[in-house]
Amino acid sequence: MLRVCDLEAGYGHVRVLKGVSIEVAAGEAVTLIGANGAGKSTLLKVLAGLLPAWDGCVELEGKNITGMRAHKRVREGLVLVPEGRMLFASMSVEDNLRLGAYSRGGKEAASEFGQDRATVYELFPVLGRRATQTAATLSGGEQQMLAIGRALMARPRLLLLDEPSLGLAPKVVTEIFSALQELRRRGLTILLVEQDARVALRHADRGYVVRTGEVALAGTAAELMDNDDVRLIYLGAWHGRD
Amino acid sequence: MGARPGRAQRSRLVLIAAIVIALAALPFVYSDAYLLKVLSFVGINVIIVAGLSLLFGYAGQVSLGHAAFYGIGAYTSGVLAVRFGWPWIACVAAAVVVSAIGGLILAVPTLRLKGHYLAMATLAFGQIAYVAFVEAKGITGGIDGLSGIPSPSLGPLELRSAESNYLLVWFFVGVALLLAGNIVALRPGRALRALHASEAGAQACGIDVVRTKVQVFVVSASLAGLAGSLFAHLVGFISPSSFTLVLSIELVAMVVLGGMGSLAGAALGAVVLTLIPNLDAVVPGMSPRAVELLQDWNADIFGVILIVVMLFMPGGLAAGAGRLAGWVRRRRPAPSEAEA
Repeated sequence: MLRVCDLEAGYGHVRVLKGVSIEVAAGEAVTLIGANGAGKSTLLKVLAGLLPAWDGCVELEGKNITGMRAHKRVREGLVLVPEGRMLFASMSVEDNLRLGAYSRGGKEAASEFGQDRATVYELFPVLGRRATQTAATLSGGEQQMLAIGRALMARPRLLLLDEPSLGLAPKVVTEIFSALQELRRRGLTILLVEQDARVALRHADRGYVVRTGEVALAGTAAELMDNDDVRLIYLGAWHGRD
Repeated sequence: MGARPGRAQRSRLVLIAAIVIALAALPFVYSDAYLLKVLSFVGINVIIVAGLSLLFGYAGQVSLGHAAFYGIGAYTSGVLAVRFGWPWIACVAAAVVVSAIGGLILAVPTLRLKGHYLAMATLAFGQIAYVAFVEAKGITGGIDGLSGIPSPSLGPLELRSAESNYLLVWFFVGVALLLAGNIVALRPGRALRALHASEAGAQACGIDVVRTKVQVFVVSASLAGLAGSLFAHLVGFISPSSFTLVLSIELVAMVVLGGMGSLAGAALGAVVLTLIPNLDAVVPGMSPRAVELLQDWNADIFGVILIVVMLFMPGGLAAGAGRLAGWVRRRRPAPSEAEA
């Protein structure tokens, strides 16, 4: 579904991505793990069109989208749940979801809004109970659920998630990842950036280890969890296997 | 199947209809030329503020250079009428188009700017336009201004009287508010509000942030240009002193006073702040000394009103009115079952 080849990008004169190549097949959940500053979020920003690629290619289902602008990528089904959630804090949960469906426009989307909203409320029942509350008044976990729900309103084909567990209590993280599992079961393709490598690999089919702007290692989730380097550096297993 | 309007919506429609009828009937029941002239200026400011409310109140894009678009509209219309003899309606159309181009010229290079930086850039644009009005003597008449701008006319029908000017201005106020109201109520309005709340969030939702910003700048500048054209033909004389930074700040104050993100509030802000120095037009029997004091202390009164509103009604007059309406509703006895 997604093919990224030799992607280079950065900020100003600083090259952050130095030729990253990854692939995500339809229906797969793939994770990018790595330390702070490795370039994981930068890669997601380039994929979402928020940062221009300096070189290389991005293809979605065979279509070259390297130079495509962000709003058009959303229409193509490539939707990002950004780091920090970036909700519309002063608006209600319902209005946030309505804006999530913005890219689909037209009468058909208007009639499907209720159906899509029901799907989101079924996945995250707490949002249904807080429908008229402003996003600012939600807890961190609820806000993350709303950010995912808002992205789902665009009917993504590939969902990009940037640090969904950031700053959340373990119980809430479990809740969010079980919702992501449910989405996977329904056939949604997911590309996940996550600092908590253990959580990420437990919920992914495959993973890439990103180190200083390059893919240092790739494999299935099981292979990566078994890899000594990964265990030592990212899973915190210093003394043998746990 | 269209849904029947709710009680609140019906009340709003009745209120709007009452305001429109009252405004339209005014010159026929009370044709005081001074009052009508002041109300025409109120209307001109409401048109500018309708556009500024879209840009600043809804989309969160600060503009301290709106007097420039107002001036561009006024000079375009005035110069075409005086020097080239264009008919009034063509001058109005040209003023709207040239101001829109001005909005586009400002919007494109400032796309990446936000908050204070955008305020500074728009302020600079306003100052550049002001200097251009002063220095382009051959076209604008320089600091001495441009005089002899003809009254609005439609073919042989010349609209010279205070009554006809008033009706003309408020017709355009209706058009401007209808346009802005539709933008706000429909899909583009959602995009503007999203842009204000979180630009990154708006991008994540698939909103074309660049296009939305440019469009709102252009619409806002066009409305200011329309107001400028009306002003030029109503007064017959324009000079750079009518398009200064002070006016730009007053326009922003009108939006803030009325309420960010409320078109009706912004219009109310324009009405209140335009009427203060001309209060004798609506309060008969005011002593000339009191009027003089109001005009001398105009800027200070603006400041005090803004501080009081920010302290006690941070949402502006619109939010205050909403709270008052809520309080009245709560005090009203609930309808009996038979009535319900």
